[in-house]
Formats: sequence, structure tokens, C-alpha cells
Amino acid sequence: MTSLGGSSSSTTEYTVRVPKNTSKKYNIMAFNSGDRVNCSTWTQARMERDMSARRIYGEEETQEGAAGSEFGKKQREEARRKKFGIVTREFKVEDQPWILKVNGKAGKRFKGQKKGGVTENASYYIFTQCPDGAFEAFPVNGWYNFTPLAKHRTLTAEEAEEEWGRRNKVVNHFSIMLQRRFREQERGEDEDDEGEKSGKKKKKKGGRGGDLRIHDLEDDLEMSSDDSDSSMGEDGESKTKAKKDTGKGKGKKKKKKSNEHEALEDSDDGDYEGLEVDYMSDESSSSDEEPEKGKSTKGGEEHPKGIDEASESEEESEEEKQNEEEAKEEEEEEEGKKTPVQVEKKKKKDSSGESESSDDSDIEGETASALFMKKRTPPKRGGGRGSAGSSRTGSRPGTPSIDSASTSNTLRAAASKLEQAKSLFPTGKRQTQGPSTDSPAAKRLKMEPSSQSPVPSGKTTPQPPSGKSTPSSSDVQLTEEAVRRYLIRKPMTTKDLLKKFQTKRTGLSSEQTVNVLAQILKRLNPERKNVNDKMHFYLTE
Amino acid sequence: MSDKTEVNLTGVKQSKGVWLVKVPKYLSHQWDKATEKGEVGTLTIGKKQGKTEVHFSLNEELTALGALGEKDASLQVPRDHPFTMNTVGGQTMAVFSHSEAGEISLEGMVVHRAECRPVVNDNYMKLKKLQIQETTKPQRLSQQLEKAITTVFKPVANHDFNVEYEKKKKSDGKMVRAERQVVLDMLFSAFEKHQYYNIKDLVDITKQPVTYLKEIMREIGTYNSKGAHKSTWELKPEYRHYQSAEEEEEMQTA
Repeated sequence: MTSLGGSSSSTTEYTVRVPKNTSKKYNIMAFNSGDRVNCSTWTQARMERDMSARRIYGEEETQEGAAGSEFGKKQREEARRKKFGIVTREFKVEDQPWILKVNGKAGKRFKGQKKGGVTENASYYIFTQCPDGAFEAFPVNGWYNFTPLAKHRTLTAEEAEEEWGRRNKVVNHFSIMLQRRFREQERGEDEDDEGEKSGKKKKKKGGRGGDLRIHDLEDDLEMSSDDSDSSMGEDGESKTKAKKDTGKGKGKKKKKKSNEHEALEDSDDGDYEGLEVDYMSDESSSSDEEPEKGKSTKGGEEHPKGIDEASESEEESEEEKQNEEEAKEEEEEEEGKKTPVQVEKKKKKDSSGESESSDDSDIEGETASALFMKKRTPPKRGGGRGSAGSSRTGSRPGTPSIDSASTSNTLRAAASKLEQAKSLFPTGKRQTQGPSTDSPAAKRLKMEPSSQSPVPSGKTTPQPPSGKSTPSSSDVQLTEEAVRRYLIRKPMTTKDLLKKFQTKRTGLSSEQTVNVLAQILKRLNPERKNVNDKMHFYLTE
Repeated sequence: MSDKTEVNLTGVKQSKGVWLVKVPKYLSHQWDKATEKGEVGTLTIGKKQGKTEVHFSLNEELTALGALGEKDASLQVPRDHPFTMNTVGGQTMAVFSHSEAGEISLEGMVVHRAECRPVVNDNYMKLKKLQIQETTKPQRLSQQLEKAITTVFKPVANHDFNVEYEKKKKSDGKMVRAERQVVLDMLFSAFEKHQYYNIKDLVDITKQPVTYLKEIMREIGTYNSKGAHKSTWELKPEYRHYQSAEEEEEMQTA
């Protein structure tokens, strides 16, 4: 280094070296000034090539020699491409972008795309100063512009277009991503029933605010289908209660799902048989669509209000618990009611509110049976539906108790009404509501206004205790009593009986079921008759 | 995609500052001619009236243009190159290097940008003229020939083709019909490899006369006249037992 002294200048000379043997290739990593990237804050960084473009260029190879391959297809394709002058660009690893991850999983991510045309007309060199004072110049091999990658979730193109269309209506933009997350959750949880779930989910989500009220509403007032729909609609639009409702919606969704599952499982061919028969024979059924409606409208107003206060807190806690352990804690919460069943029923009702309410309005219709299916899922659980429920017809054409029921503002009341309603529609599935109704009725006394309890019990009496409406033992148990009830009611083949005691509900394997049923039949020694070339059993008592 | 290379951050940690210098092409060419040691010139950094001036001076031996050594003494690459220094201007630029072994390391941050400019003089202008002349030359050239070329086209019939034709004639044009069973075996093994075959390809594979082959194929296969695999033969369903592609893949990977 020579220093030239000068009055107004001082210069130092340095040698410049261009090393020849560099195995390393130097590149520029350029960041946007707006991103405020400070490399000195990086503690750890990982970088690799982004090979995602390879499959586009690779042109998926169909399996060689597998079915569907042609002899000489590759050559023919190549010849064809040459003929038409189609030139496919090669996949060059060197030109692929880099993916840079800084500071581990929680840190930033960058994508570095190669900038073209850098080395065409001028060469860039990196001058670094060596410890000995000389400069070393390294040629720059490539220039990569690194841009930060968004970690938050973004909408896809289709979703974005959708939202764009609704931009004037949607006020709360947070809900957009929330809904998307919902959708993803659902898809993840439940791929089979996606269709109906999403439909229901939308309803549910949309009517979150409304649904909360409607759930209980619809216990008594299946007629409130209109109300529920409209309120649903409104709620669908205003998505303000995003977070809170999200939680509830989630819980409800889960509930609903499980309920839906159960409901679907329940629907058997055999169930439809008894439906109409019972319905016709049931005196109460003929009555009160009007009172029902009246009640529904009345209850409609009352319940939302009443329930909101009482139920919102309840429901919140319910939902949380549900998330943990279905119905168990609700059971406790409800102090020993046959809550699993009840709560489930309630919940189911809540969640499948709209559908149920609309169905309920068609009590004569077949939809009613479907409804019963849905409503009946709890019976699977355990029976203690209680005749308290049976007496409460809820929206069911039914019993005068409806009026009294409508006055109750508690969830429990609503639930018990639900049970009543269920009890009204006895089918093979409805096993719960027989004698067991009495005990739950007693339990319910604690919870409900006493006025109700006598009513339920009163109600039970007019109804044929066992056989008709509700086989006493829960569907879950394959007991002699249950079989007896069935056989008294109507002649059945062994196949029918087996259908009644599905393995899923009784918890027994099919073999066990067969064995136990055989034993029971032996004990009962029913009479036989041949109907349609099939041996039917029946009992007369 | 699976293994990410850990980036060596020592350069950044030490806050090594580097310069990014834009160098003309001819100069980088000259630099490539440097000796093993790599010395190409000297850099003079001076402070003149408060301003920093950087000046690069090319080594004497590298000024000669052309690899042939002493091409034109007249035409020389200029020696003096003042650098124009610019600041980075807010943009963060780092230098990373990756080696053949796949190691990536961050060499440092760019603190200054510079452009290496030559001093413009007549010599330089001549050099530039030469460069331009080279680049404007067309890549393809049409040239008129004086004499017609008589060496390429000779025989009336393509000689090679003729040879092949004769050879084909020699080996029976109508190929010998092999035993039916033998042919069937050949066909089945062929169809194990691919599902669809052209009749021509089958003839090629089995070396059987077309009519005979068609007869056999009509017995064990069907002809697709429409669809994706047009005019191809495939085995009848009862004769084939292809696994689906996924199964085959699984088998292969397993």
C-alpha cells in the first residue's frame, strides 16, 4: 500500500484480486426497502430451492406398463410435439426461486425470485476487503429478489370473488376469515356429511343469535319455523357476534353433527310402521294444532327472551361441556335429570332447530317420522326420557299440557317438553318413554315448576303406558320387558325384533344380541302365527 | 424440499460490508485472463477536497485485447477506471454464496454500490466500434455459390432405402406363421407391458403376417375404433388383469 501525501488529498492504494478457484458462487439477496429487513437480527436461517414448479414441467408420467398405456406413446407424443413446433422449457434448478426461513418456525419467510437479465450486458462484482488490505472481487452469479411471504391465511381466488360481490353488505370483515376457518374445520371433521353439514352449519351459524333462542322455542313451538327462518336470515346477514357465536356455533355444530349421526342411524324401515298406527290411535294427536300454534307464537316471544337470559349462560356452559364430554356435565349441571338424553335432545333440537320446526309443522306428514328419528337420538342414550317428556307434547298435537309447558321459561321445561313430544310418537325406536317416564318425572320435579310435574304424570296416564307409545326399557337394553312390549303391541318376526335392538344401540355384538334374544323368546314363549309366509310372534296380555 | 440448508450467518454477524460494483463486460473478460494469482489491478481510494474518490487501474499486462497475445498494440482496453460510488439507498442487500456441496452462507451486507466507468478516449471509442460491429453481424448468412454442388444427389432411388428393401424382400415378405400358441404367448407378454397396441406395432413385435395376427387378435382382443386410444387393439376383459396404477406404484415403492 502506498500512501501519497498530498495537501488536499490522501490516497491509499489497494491491490485488487480476482480469485480464480472459487468453488462458491456468489449471489445477491435483495430485499425491498419497505420490508425493513435487518439481517443482523437473524439468529438462524434456512434456505432451499423451491421445487414446486417441477411437477408442471415434469408432465406427470403415467405409469409405464400399467393399464391404459399405449405402446410407443411417448415417441408418438414427442414426434407430435416436434411437428407442431411446441418447445417445452426445461426445468432448470438454477433458476428456481429460493425459500428462506428466518428464525425458525415462528419467524419470517421469504421467497427469492431470480431476476433475469442481470449478467447479460454488465457483470457485477463483489468487492470485499481482505485482512491484508487487498480487495477481492467475486463475480455475482445471480440476483434474487426476496419478498416476505404472508403467514396469515388468505382467501383463494374464488372466495375473494365471492366476498367482493358482498362487499357492500358485509360490515364486519373479521367474520370473513372466521367463516372460512369454520368451513375448513368442518371439512376436516366430517367429510362424509359435508353437504348437509355445511348447509346446516350455515343455517346454524347464520342464525346463531337467533338459533339460541329458537332452540328452546322450537321445543314448544315447532310452528316457529317461519320465525326461525327469518331470524336465521337476519342473523346470517349481521355477523357481528362473530367470536362469541363462533364458540357457540361450534359447539352446536358438533352437537348437531353427533345428533345428525344418531338420527340417521335411527331411521329404519321398521320404524315407519308403527308411526301412523300410533298416531291415529293416539287421541291427543288429533287435537291441537291450533293450540300448538298459538303456543308456539306465544312461546316464541317469551322463550327467546326468557331463554336468552337463562339459557345463554347455560348454553355457553353446556357447549363447553359438550365439547369435553357430551352431555355428562350437562347432566350434572342439570342436577341429575336424565340429562344425557335430555340435553342431547335439547341440543339436537337446538341445533336442528330449523329443520325440526319446519318438520314439526307437518305433524301428519312423513317428515314427522324423520323428525322423530332425529329427536329420538337421545333415546339411544339412556332412556330416562321420562314421561315427563311424554306428557309434554311440546309442539306435538297434543296435550293440554302444552299450555302449561309454554309458560315455563326454563330450558329444562323446554327439554322436557321435547321429551313429551317424543313420547307421543312411539315407534319401535321410541322405547324410552314408558314407565321410566315416571322416575324422570320425579326428578324433573326438582327442576321445574311444580305445576308441570303433575301435568306430566297426568299426561302419562291417558297414554297407553307401555306398549303403545313408549316401550319402557330404553332402546339401549335388550330386556325381556322390551321384547314383551313389542310383541304385545304387534306381531313381529325375529328379524323385526333384531332390528329393534340394533347392535349400535344396545352395545352388544350381533351374536350376543341373537343369543340374548333367543333366550328371552324362550322365556316369554310367545304365540306364533304365520303372516305372509313368515313366522310372527305375538303376545296377548 | 426435505432438507433445508442451514445458512451460515457469520458474514452478517461480523457485519462485513461489501461493495457491489458494476463492471463492464470487456473488463471482466480481461480479468478472466488474469494469472493464477489473480491480481488484476490496483484500487486507489483518495479523499480530494472532502470527496472520496475511488479509482481502479488495470494492470499493464491485461490491457491487451484478444487472447492471441499481441493482437493490436493499438487496440487496448483502457486502463483507468474511476468508480462512481452510490449509497445503497435504503434497500437492504446481502450477499450469499452457495457452494457445490450445497452449503449456503451469508457473506455480508452491501454497503456501497459502485459503477466502474472507463475514461473515455479515442482508444475506448475504437474499442466500442469494434464491439458494435461484432454484435450487429447477423447470425445467419445467405451466401451465393458459384458452382452448383454435384456431390450430394447421386442415385435415382435412395441407395440406403434400396438396400433395406432388398433385405426385406429376402427375408420372407410374408412372415412365417409361427405356432398359434407361441404367438399367443408373445401377445400376452406384450400386453402385459402396455394395454393398447397398434396392429403395426404388434406385427413388428411378433413378426407374424398381418392376416394371421388379426385372426388371433380377433379371438383374444377387441379393436377400439373410437375413444382415446383410437384404432388400437386391446385384450378382452376376461384375459386381462391389470392392477390399477396406484397399486402398481405401491408395489414399486414397497
